[in-house]
Amino acid sequence: MAGQDVVLQNVSMVYPNGFTAVHPTDLTIKAGEFFSILGPSGCGKTTILRMISGFLEPSSGTISIGDTVMNGIGPNKRPTALIFQNLALFPLMSVWENIAFGLEARGESKAKRRKRAEELLDLVALTGQGEKKPTELSGGQRQRVAIARALAVEPSVLLLDEPLSALDLKLRQHMRAELKAIQRKTNVTFIYITHDQGEALAMSDRVAVMNEGRIEQVSSAEGIYNRPETAFAATFVGEQNVFRGRVVATEGEGISVETEHGLLHGVNRNALTPGEEALVMVRPEQIELMNGNAMGAAERGLNTLSARLERRDLEGALINLYLRAGDYPVHVNMHNTGETHVPGEQAIALGFHWRHTVMMRPGNLAKERA
Amino acid sequence: MHALIKTYGRGLTVLFVALVAAWVLLMILVPGVRTIQRAFIYEDRAGETAMIAIEIDRAYTEKFQLDQEAADLHAQAEAESAPSSGVPSFGAPSMGGPTIGVPGAGPSGGAAARLSPADRDARLAEIAAKVATLEGRIADLEAREDTSSGEAGMKERYSFENFTTMSMVHVRIFVLTLFYALCVTVLSFLICYPVAFVAATTRSKGKLTVMLLLLVIPYAINELLRIFSWVMILEKNGILNSLFDALGFIDLEAGEGIRFVASNGAVFLVMVYAYVLFMVFPIYNTIDTLDPNQLEAARDLGASSWRIHTRVVIPHAKPGIAVGAIMTFMLSAGSIAAPEIVGRGLHPDWFSQLIYRRFFEADSWNQGSAYSLALLVACVIFIFATMRIFKVGIRDIAK
Ligand SMILES: Nc1ncnc2c1ncn2[C@@H]1O[C@H](COP(=O)(O)OP(=O)(O)OP(=O)(O)O)[C@@H](O)[C@H]1O
Ligand SMILES: [Mg+2]
Repeated sequence: MAGQDVVLQNVSMVYPNGFTAVHPTDLTIKAGEFFSILGPSGCGKTTILRMISGFLEPSSGTISIGDTVMNGIGPNKRPTALIFQNLALFPLMSVWENIAFGLEARGESKAKRRKRAEELLDLVALTGQGEKKPTELSGGQRQRVAIARALAVEPSVLLLDEPLSALDLKLRQHMRAELKAIQRKTNVTFIYITHDQGEALAMSDRVAVMNEGRIEQVSSAEGIYNRPETAFAATFVGEQNVFRGRVVATEGEGISVETEHGLLHGVNRNALTPGEEALVMVRPEQIELMNGNAMGAAERGLNTLSARLERRDLEGALINLYLRAGDYPVHVNMHNTGETHVPGEQAIALGFHWRHTVMMRPGNLAKERA
Repeated sequence: MHALIKTYGRGLTVLFVALVAAWVLLMILVPGVRTIQRAFIYEDRAGETAMIAIEIDRAYTEKFQLDQEAADLHAQAEAESAPSSGVPSFGAPSMGGPTIGVPGAGPSGGAAARLSPADRDARLAEIAAKVATLEGRIADLEAREDTSSGEAGMKERYSFENFTTMSMVHVRIFVLTLFYALCVTVLSFLICYPVAFVAATTRSKGKLTVMLLLLVIPYAINELLRIFSWVMILEKNGILNSLFDALGFIDLEAGEGIRFVASNGAVFLVMVYAYVLFMVFPIYNTIDTLDPNQLEAARDLGASSWRIHTRVVIPHAKPGIAVGAIMTFMLSAGSIAAPEIVGRGLHPDWFSQLIYRRFFEADSWNQGSAYSLALLVACVIFIFATMRIFKVGIRDIAK
């Protein structure tokens, strides 16, 4: 069962009530890739997945898997298998019957089904649990049954709709590793949906960030975090300190924005031009304390900012500082080296490098953060 | 008990217990025990008491007819003495039913033949004499009945004879009725399952409301009316035949109307209609609790619709199907209105009709009880068999 490409061309979904859940979208997912779609609740992730699996017919555009256009082909005829948000195991069947259901539907003999079920039980580390009922298993085990059931039909594309959301944190982290391992072993294309950025970043080869029916950015996990392309992507994944201002000058990838805290320099991610409004973003871990040595900051490429300390939290290895610069809250986190000195003064000088400062065209900011 | 007193106080608890006791006593024990008791008491119908009773009945009938004839003759005499003779006499009271078919009832009790005054007087005298003898016999028979029924009462004994004396014809009807009820149950299931499935899985609330309303509205109408409305539809000159006539399939005038009523098919149809709700709702309720994702999961794994239903939906709906089947079976096995009204006596009898006639026509309550008991036992066996087959417990059904 080798993975296959999934290609969406101009695909959109308008529900019968007139609500546009997915705006026209182009997306190419490569064979054998672990691809995540990350976005807040209600952004249209499940809708995209259901279109790929065949339960929803797109309002426009074409979906192809491998070289075959899938429009008009039912879910039972597509080389996809879907793992549901709530797993949807068959409670009245035993574990092995669940796993072998797809083979039963193909009319395979009982002996063959049984054998294949045992193989898959081994694959998902549930050897010997075949006779149990799904309700007699733990959450993580059920999860693995669902994966085995989906893999039994040898799909080239496995679609997973927040399959870990029902599990507790420990198990979730464990299952992440297992999912990734299963994906490597089987080489099936995984399309994984989540609103948990940790999950998406940890497992995926590539991540698509989605908001309000639009895919905002597709790139590697690293790219999403370090080189966000939209205000939403920047704020949804990881944390950002945000300031507002107006572009005064651009030069190559450099850009200068006038804010109420003076001129800040950064990277021009959205090809902004002078006169445009801009959002200045910098991540909490990129801000350092100047500790009274603001001299020559500009020469070192640092933006400076003066803020008042409101609260500090020690979180073991990390120290979180919550400050305020005028109207803007500023969050700084730094490593606890054991010698970290946080001044108790009224005004603290902060510095951050222009290369770590991104200037974005204003847009939706993430309200919800997983 | 203590828990009850604690939660509800003494007064309410007493009320609860009293109500429960009354329910058990009046609704379950008394009628149940009485029926069972009667079913096992054999009344020897061919015995002396019964013979006497029949003879008394006959004597009374005969006397009644003679009285009528005498009254007629008197009326004739008066009419002749009146000036406006020749006007037909309406004075004769119309005859009631009992004479019909009673053996040895003598000349049929219509208007007495017109006789000459002399013959009439002779006939009147003859009648008076006969009536006198009859009265004597009746008094005698009644006296004997009193003594012998006292003895017969002593002779009442428990036995299986009420069951063992059931004629082969009745046994056949009994078996057929169970089979018919099974047919009705299966038919109802075949009709109700798709309806219940669609109703339970439809996403549109509006459609669902309309469907359920359409199902429920007919049930606001009295059962008899519903049955009669079907008769109107199915009759030889009924709506269905008129429709066929209008469409040109048949010619009503030429008497080509098809007799739909008085056939098993018609009885089944009406019964299915009468009991669909009892099948639809339990099934609807169970399918309603099925996670729609399971249907999609099955489809996604490549299952055909048939397999989805046989492997996912029906196993899930089993308790509902069992409840629906039990209710439909019990209701149709015991139904009397539908076979009576739709069957018109032409269609093969249902056992319920037989029971009715045992009670009210053959006047044999004990045998009637035995027949009902047999039906009840059959139904109970059916319930347990269904629960076995569907592997559901009482608890599942109670849900
Ligand atoms: N059948 C429907 N008819 C109309 N609107 C719908 C329908 N199903 C979903 N929507 C809307 O489409 C949007 C996207 O829904 P979708 O289920 O794809 O969200 P999601 O990203 O999967 O969210 P979650 O993370 O909460 O599962 C939502 O705003 C939802 O209200
Ligand atoms: Mg969803």
